[in-house]
Amino acid sequence: MRKVIRLLDQFVAGILMLAMTLILLTVVWQVISRYVLADPASVTEELSRFLLIWIGLLGAAFAYRQKVHLGFNLIVEKQPPERRKYILTLVELLVIIFCASTLLFGGAQLVSLTLELEQISAALGVRMGYVYIVLPLSGALIICYGLINIHNLWLADEEEAW
Amino acid sequence: GTDSESKVTTLRIGHTLDTQHSVHKAMEYFGARVAELSGGTIEVKIYPGSQLGNEREMIELLQIGSLSMTKVSASPLEGFVPAMKIFSIPYIFRDNAHFWTVLNSHIGKTLLQEVEPFRLKGLAYYDAGSRSFYSNNKPIHSPADLAGMKIRVLNSPTAVRTVRELGGAATPVSWGELYTALQQGVVDGAENNPPSYYLSRHYEIARYYSLDEHTSVPDIMLMSLRTWDNLSAQQQAWVSEAMQDSVLFQRQAWQQSTAESLAKVKADGVEVIYPDKTLFVEAVKPFHESLRDTEVGALISEIKAL
Amino acid sequence: MDYTAIALIVTFFVLLLLNVPISFSIGIATLVAMLLSIDFTPAVTTIAQRMAGGLDSFALLAIPFFVLSGMIMGRGGIAKRLINCALALIGSLPGGLALVNVVSCMLFGAISGSAVATTSAIGSFMLPEMKKQGYDENFSAAVTAAASTTGMLIPPSNILIVYAIASGGVSIAALFMAGYLPGVMVGLALMVVCFIHAKRKGYATTARLPLKVVLQQVGAALPSLFLIILVIGGIVGGIFTATEAGAIAVVYSLILAVGVYREVTPKQLPDILLKSGETTAIVMLLIGASTAMSWMLSYANIPQNISEFMLDISDNPIVILLLINLLLIVVGAFLDMTPAVLIFTPIFLPVAAELGMSPLQFGIMIVLNLSIGLCSPPVGAVLFITCAIAKTRLDKIIKPLLPLYAAMFVVLMLVTYVAWFSEALPALFGV
Ligand code: NA
Ligand code: NA
Repeated sequence: MRKVIRLLDQFVAGILMLAMTLILLTVVWQVISRYVLADPASVTEELSRFLLIWIGLLGAAFAYRQKVHLGFNLIVEKQPPERRKYILTLVELLVIIFCASTLLFGGAQLVSLTLELEQISAALGVRMGYVYIVLPLSGALIICYGLINIHNLWLADEEEAW
Repeated sequence: GTDSESKVTTLRIGHTLDTQHSVHKAMEYFGARVAELSGGTIEVKIYPGSQLGNEREMIELLQIGSLSMTKVSASPLEGFVPAMKIFSIPYIFRDNAHFWTVLNSHIGKTLLQEVEPFRLKGLAYYDAGSRSFYSNNKPIHSPADLAGMKIRVLNSPTAVRTVRELGGAATPVSWGELYTALQQGVVDGAENNPPSYYLSRHYEIARYYSLDEHTSVPDIMLMSLRTWDNLSAQQQAWVSEAMQDSVLFQRQAWQQSTAESLAKVKADGVEVIYPDKTLFVEAVKPFHESLRDTEVGALISEIKAL
Repeated sequence: MDYTAIALIVTFFVLLLLNVPISFSIGIATLVAMLLSIDFTPAVTTIAQRMAGGLDSFALLAIPFFVLSGMIMGRGGIAKRLINCALALIGSLPGGLALVNVVSCMLFGAISGSAVATTSAIGSFMLPEMKKQGYDENFSAAVTAAASTTGMLIPPSNILIVYAIASGGVSIAALFMAGYLPGVMVGLALMVVCFIHAKRKGYATTARLPLKVVLQQVGAALPSLFLIILVIGGIVGGIFTATEAGAIAVVYSLILAVGVYREVTPKQLPDILLKSGETTAIVMLLIGASTAMSWMLSYANIPQNISEFMLDISDNPIVILLLINLLLIVVGAFLDMTPAVLIFTPIFLPVAAELGMSPLQFGIMIVLNLSIGLCSPPVGAVLFITCAIAKTRLDKIIKPLLPLYAAMFVVLMLVTYVAWFSEALPALFGV
C-alpha cells in the first residue's frame, strides 16, 4: 500500500513540476513572440490560464498531502490528545464530504456537461471538459489523502504511517 | 427553489457590463414590462458587472441551471454553437439595415434556435453595433496603415485571422490589462464599438478612431432551457412579448449611446476617421474565398443574397 | 441580514475554530448557504465551476511567477548581499542593526513580493546577529515581523495582484506604483520606533566602515536590486505587462542565482519548482473557494445590503472609513491576508467608492491595514516564523510590537485620509 501511495505522490508532484515549467515557458514565449519576433502568439494567453487552473487544483491536492493549507489551530492544539484525535478525524471527514460533493461530483457534472455539449475553448480549440477534468481529479486525490490521514491518526504509529 | 406562498417567479439575469450601458437599461425595461404583463407574478433581478462570471461562464451557469438569463456576445457562443462563427467574419453585412434584415430573416431565427440542443433558449438579438480600429500613434486610413501594428484582438481564431488578413499583428491581451497595455505601448491599438471605446476610456490613450466597421457581432439574450421549460405557456408568452419590447428599446438606446460616444470622444479631441471601406472589403476577399466550400461559406452567400 | 448570510458566517467560523483549512471552511460554508436556495446538483456544479473560473484569469499568473522568483532569490544568496549593503550604509547609526533589519526587509520584500519569504530570509540572518550585539530577542522578532510586511506594498506584490482581481480590474501597474510611497512610509515609521528604542536602551553601534568597503557592498547588491528596475522599468516602458513581468523576474533571478552567484544548482530546480507550485496552489485554492463564496454573496445580494447598512450608520466619510479600518484590523488578526482581501474587497469597495475613494487608494488602504493584521496574533504566518527563528513565544513579542503597530497605524490613517500618498506616483508615471 505504501508503495502505491508513494507512486501516487510522485505522479502528482511530477505533473505539478511539469505544469510550472510549461507555464513559465508559455509566458516567456508570449513576450518573445510579441516583442522580439513581432509575430504575437495567439494561444499563449489561453494556454497559460488553463495551466494555472491545473496548477491551482492539482497543487491543492499536493498541498493537502503536505498538510500546508492555512488553518487556525490554536484551540484544537490545546485539547487533550484523545479528544484532538476525534476533532482531527471530524475535520478530515468534513473535507472529504466537501470534496466528494463539490469537486468530485460537481466537477464530474461539469466535465460531462461540457463534453456532452462539445464546448470548445476560444483560442486553442480544446474541449473545455479536458480543462475541467482537473476538478474531479483533484477531488479524488484529496479524498484519498484524507482517508490516508484518518488511517494515520487511528491505525498507525509513526513507522507505519502511509 | 419555488416560493409557494407568494408564487412569484424570479428570473435572475447576469451580464458583464456596467449599469450605464444600454443593455442594462434594456434589461431593466424588460423587467418592468414582464412584471406589468404578469401582474407582478414574474420578477427580474439583474446582476451587472460580471458579478456572477464572464460571458462564457454564465452560458455554463444557464446550462447548469443556477442562473436563468444572460446577455452574451455572439462570439463566446462560438465555443458552444459553431454556426455563430458567421458573425465574426468581416464585412458580411452591407450596412446596419442589411444586418437587421438578416437577423430578422429565417437565417437569424434559425441561428437563434440552434442554441436549443445546448440547453439554451435564444430569446432575442440586441444591437452591439460594429467594431472598428483605434490606435495610439498613427491614424488608420487603409489596410496598408495596419502593417506591423500590434492590434489587440478577441481570443478567437476568426478574430485573429481578420486582423492578419488586414495586415496587422493580432495580439491577444486580456480586457483587464488592455488600458495599461495601450498606455505603455505593449499594443499599438485595439478594436471595438463606439460605446465600448468610450466607456472603457481607451480613447484617453488611443487618439485615432477609424470607423472601418469590419465586424458586426450582435448581442444575444439567452435563457436557460430548464428555466424556459418550467414556465407556463402564458408565462413564456409574457417573457417573449416583454423581450420583443426590450429589443426595440435597446436598439434605440444603442443608436443614441453610439452617437453620444462619438460626440464625446470628438469633443475630447480624438481624430475620428471615416476611411474608404472598399479597401478593407477588398483585403478580406481571400478570407471569404477560402470559406467558399464550407458550411459557413454557404451561409455567407445566403446572407449576401438577402 | 438574512438567513443565508447567517448560515454562511456561522458555518465558516465553526469550521475555522475546528481547524478546518481556511479554503475548505470557505468552500463548505458556501455549499451550506447555497443549498438553502439552489438544488443540490446545480449548487455543487456551480461551486465547482466558480472554483475553476476563479483561477481562469491572466492577471493571476503573476503569483506563481513572483513566488518562484522569490524562492530562487531566497536560496540564491540575494538576502545576504542586501543585508551587507544595508549594514554598510546605516549600520553605524544608533540602533543600527534594527535599522538594517528594517531596510533589508524592505529591499528583499521589494523584490520577492512575499512577507513569508522575507521573514525567513532576513530573519534567519539578522535575528542571531542582533542577539549577539545584545538586542532583546523579543524586540528583534517584533521588528522583523512588522518590517517584512512592507514588501506587501512595495512592488512587486502578490497581494496587490489578488486585490486587482477582487476589485474587478484595477490596473496592476497603477497599484504597483501606488504602493511605493506608503510602503516606504511604513518602513521609515518603523525605523523611527527602532531608533527611539535603541537610544533609550543604549544599544551599541557598529563601527563606521571605510568608503571603499561601503561602495563594494553596495556594488555587490546592485545586481539583485536591478530586478526592481527591470520589473518596473519593463512595465512602464511597454516591453511587457505587469503579469508578464513575473515571468521575466523568474528568468532574471535564475540567471543571477544559477549563472552568476552559483548558489543554486540546476539540480535544486525541480524542488524549487515543486515548492513554489505548492505555495501557489495554497493561494489558488483560497482564490477559487473565495470566488465561489463571492458568487453566493452576490446571488443573495449581501454586499449591497451591508453597504446600505453601513451608509445608514453615518454619512460622514471620516467615521465610515475609520469603522471599516477598525473592522479590518480585527478581521486581519484572525484571517490571513489573501482570504481577507478576497472576502472584504467586494463588500467594502462599493462603500468606499460611494464616499468618493478611488479603487486604487482603497487597495493600498486595505493591504496596509491587513499588513498590521499579518503581524498581529493570534493568526499570522510571519509571527510564527519570527518566533521560531528567535526562539521566543508569541505572547512575549506582543509588548514590543505595540509601538510598531502604533507607527503603522499612523501611516494607515495618512493613507486613508490623504489620497495623494497613493495617487501621486501613478499619476506622475502615467499608469
Ligand atoms: Na514586494
Ligand atoms: Na493576524
